[in-house]
Amino acid sequence: MSRVTSWMRPVHALAFRVVGAVLVLIGTLMAWATFVYNNGAYPAKATLQYFDAPFALNSFRLHLAILGIAALAVALAPVPGRNRILRGLGWGVIAIAAVHMAFMTYEGGGLGAIAGGTAFGSWSTLVGGILIVLAAHGGGLEGPVHLPTKMPFYVAWLVLLVSFAGLLMLVSRTLTAGGQGGVANPYSGPLFLSFVGYAGGLLAALHGAGLLPWISRLSEGHRAFSIVVLLGCALALPFTDAGTEYWMTVAANIGVYAATAIGLNVVVGLTGLLDLGYVAFLGIGAFVAANLSGAAAARFDIELPFIVAALIAAVVAGIFGAIVGSPTLRVRGDYLAIVTLAFGEIFVRSAQNDIGGLTNGSNAIPGLPPISLFGKGFNESITIGGAKLPSGVLYYFLIVLLVAVVMAVFANLKNSRIGRAWVAIREDEDVARAMGIRTGQAKILAFMVGATLAGLAGAVFAHKLSTVSYESFKFLESVTLLAAVILGGMASIPGAVLGASLLFVLPEKLREFSEYRLLMFGLALVLIMRFRPQGLVPDKHRRAELVGEDPEGKPLDESDVGQAHLPDVGPTTGPTTREAT
Amino acid sequence: MTTLFQQIANGIVLGAVIGLIALGYTMVYGIIQLINFAHGEVFMVGAYGGLATYTYILPEQFRDDWQIALPAVLVGGIVISVITAVIMERFAYRPLRGGPRLAPLITALGVSVALQEAVRLFYPGATATLAFPPLFVDGDLRIPVPGGGGDVVITWIKLLLVIVAVLLAVGLQMYVSRSRMGRAMRATAQDADTAKLMGVNPDRVIVLTFILGAALAGVGGVMYGAYQNTINIDMGFQNGIFAFTAAVLGGIGSLRGAVIGAFCIGLIKTLGGQYLPGGNQYDYVWIFVVLILVLVFRPEGLFGEPEKVRA
Repeated sequence: MSRVTSWMRPVHALAFRVVGAVLVLIGTLMAWATFVYNNGAYPAKATLQYFDAPFALNSFRLHLAILGIAALAVALAPVPGRNRILRGLGWGVIAIAAVHMAFMTYEGGGLGAIAGGTAFGSWSTLVGGILIVLAAHGGGLEGPVHLPTKMPFYVAWLVLLVSFAGLLMLVSRTLTAGGQGGVANPYSGPLFLSFVGYAGGLLAALHGAGLLPWISRLSEGHRAFSIVVLLGCALALPFTDAGTEYWMTVAANIGVYAATAIGLNVVVGLTGLLDLGYVAFLGIGAFVAANLSGAAAARFDIELPFIVAALIAAVVAGIFGAIVGSPTLRVRGDYLAIVTLAFGEIFVRSAQNDIGGLTNGSNAIPGLPPISLFGKGFNESITIGGAKLPSGVLYYFLIVLLVAVVMAVFANLKNSRIGRAWVAIREDEDVARAMGIRTGQAKILAFMVGATLAGLAGAVFAHKLSTVSYESFKFLESVTLLAAVILGGMASIPGAVLGASLLFVLPEKLREFSEYRLLMFGLALVLIMRFRPQGLVPDKHRRAELVGEDPEGKPLDESDVGQAHLPDVGPTTGPTTREAT
Repeated sequence: MTTLFQQIANGIVLGAVIGLIALGYTMVYGIIQLINFAHGEVFMVGAYGGLATYTYILPEQFRDDWQIALPAVLVGGIVISVITAVIMERFAYRPLRGGPRLAPLITALGVSVALQEAVRLFYPGATATLAFPPLFVDGDLRIPVPGGGGDVVITWIKLLLVIVAVLLAVGLQMYVSRSRMGRAMRATAQDADTAKLMGVNPDRVIVLTFILGAALAGVGGVMYGAYQNTINIDMGFQNGIFAFTAAVLGGIGSLRGAVIGAFCIGLIKTLGGQYLPGGNQYDYVWIFVVLILVLVFRPEGLFGEPEKVRA
């Protein structure tokens, strides 16, 4: 078991965490700024609760109060995993305080936001957060808490139902937090980030208490039930606050990219082949669907039903996947990555030059008709049981279905014979071969499966956007998808969804920073590789390798903790890191 | 006939630029087996560094005097390139050294995107293509071609570029084969552990490699800007890919191979754009086709050693 290392006396740690929590609560009730934002008179134009507003707890003040009270309670009561919980809460507080301080500084208040008066709310909160984190580390972080999962099935079902409902709430709140970004709403960025800090703090605290791993183990034990409930939750999203046309569009876009990212995960995460031209398959799927849709600029003057067009798109993309994958028979490691990049660039160039009249070059193929089923266009709004759902919601349902299909394919493949062969190739290709795996076939199949899934997503993408242009399939899009997969955690389904969501929600929320989107992605890739190569939500087997927990979530002996390592398929590198050290 | 010779001349000029970048690629790969994907951006940053030197540092009265302006701008470009490369090596690549193979490549991608975006966002006016000063005597060399059809035209700056590139490549080859540090570099490339036992400091060797590669790329960036008269943030990615292809074609790890590969790629681009179906809209595609074919069928390139099978 991991040792508890404390460098604070228990009484000091107690003092730190209590004082920290109290400071947070005090900061919550104090004024945060003494001047007026948004160039208008207070209070009419000042929509953020930066001013002296005792007992008016809403927005970020409410979040801080919840975190503070939780910290105070945990600080005084002996709870298992106390310091882990406190660490999460403390970081949440720090994040909220830092976001608002940065915003006030940026808007011209200066640090401490003093203009003809003093306002110490943010300082008190920040110091409180830091004290809590210090107390948590100083008091000694305990090993992960392990809660038992033996219980009657109806209790487990109830727990799962409640947790997934909570997840739905969280997703809906996160999506709408801060509102729609843009010129009219300068607060969307800080409010959203502050909400993310709050949610992150709470989740980290739940994780520290062992609740999240416990729920995840419960859902493993009741797979079928969990899947049904999750699907239900995803379909219920339009009935929450997020059920407006705008948020449905955002959610649908995230869905398309999440599906594509899961497809990429087959190639990169499972098989360990770096594919830098993956977005080309999304493009092939989209262009095939566009040409078969009956749009005016299409090459063929036929209009096939969407299902048929989507299947053809998937098959065509799969064939191209096999072509692009065929060099894997001879090329390995980073050379292979460059070959895939070359294929991707060839696709973009050809599409830009309207190859064979199929892509309409830089004019793009506009005016794809919306998908229709039973005479109902997917861009129309619908009414279900008295609730009027906004237009675009049908596309959202379709894309939820798409993501579910892709997830099912991925999960089943991963646990199949071929999936295990892929993982074996990722870990050591020569050994896999020696074990009797036909590595060539397996690798080409990985490319084919990944490409097919992307082609399917591309067909939906085409109809959803109603315009298909080569611009959407450039190299940087491949990098973005790769960043989504790596950020979330390779070979992990929730990771891919989380990664795709983060990379596409953040620019949506931080409109004033959307210029910096790609810069952030680039830096994120560098930082993740450096500090957390296993990603945010690591696959459990990879987690076992990288973090020192066995697949059941129980901690392993510390001496067993290997160094982080990625698929190692280079032709000249030696054994894996663990053996080398 | 004139067209053919003109395209050959253009190909050689492009080859010289690509060669300056490819040397950096091949040296870094030779020593730490890293495809430094961001090396093309170092070339781009060098061009912007040169332009910044010209616009913001160089006094007005020297701007038209190429004997002062050209060296000053070159130095500016080299300094910025080298600083970029050293920071990149220290903070992005060194922490990952000795780790798995794909991590540095993903990091390199990240660095590449971040550098491109950083220049686009923070260099004044870099969101659009920027004008670059000519920096050298105007006018051109005209070589008459028998059979009529006009002369082959080469501007002086292009000629200078080719000469400088060849001289630098020869100088680099001499440095690597003769000097003490050059010997340390070759030793590290052959067997890093044994070199370390012999008293070679691998960190110093690797930094030096990055510095040399970045300096050449900086020269390339400035000269490229001077003969194209414009620079943009995409130039690094494009030419970086060409240079990588050249390095692979010549046999990655081989200096001579990189230069010869670069001239081949330059010629393929200009001649392919002229004579192959699709015209110059597809010249880019031919280079990628060459890249794929070389990687698949002869990954050791023209001059490289056959790749050793991993132990």
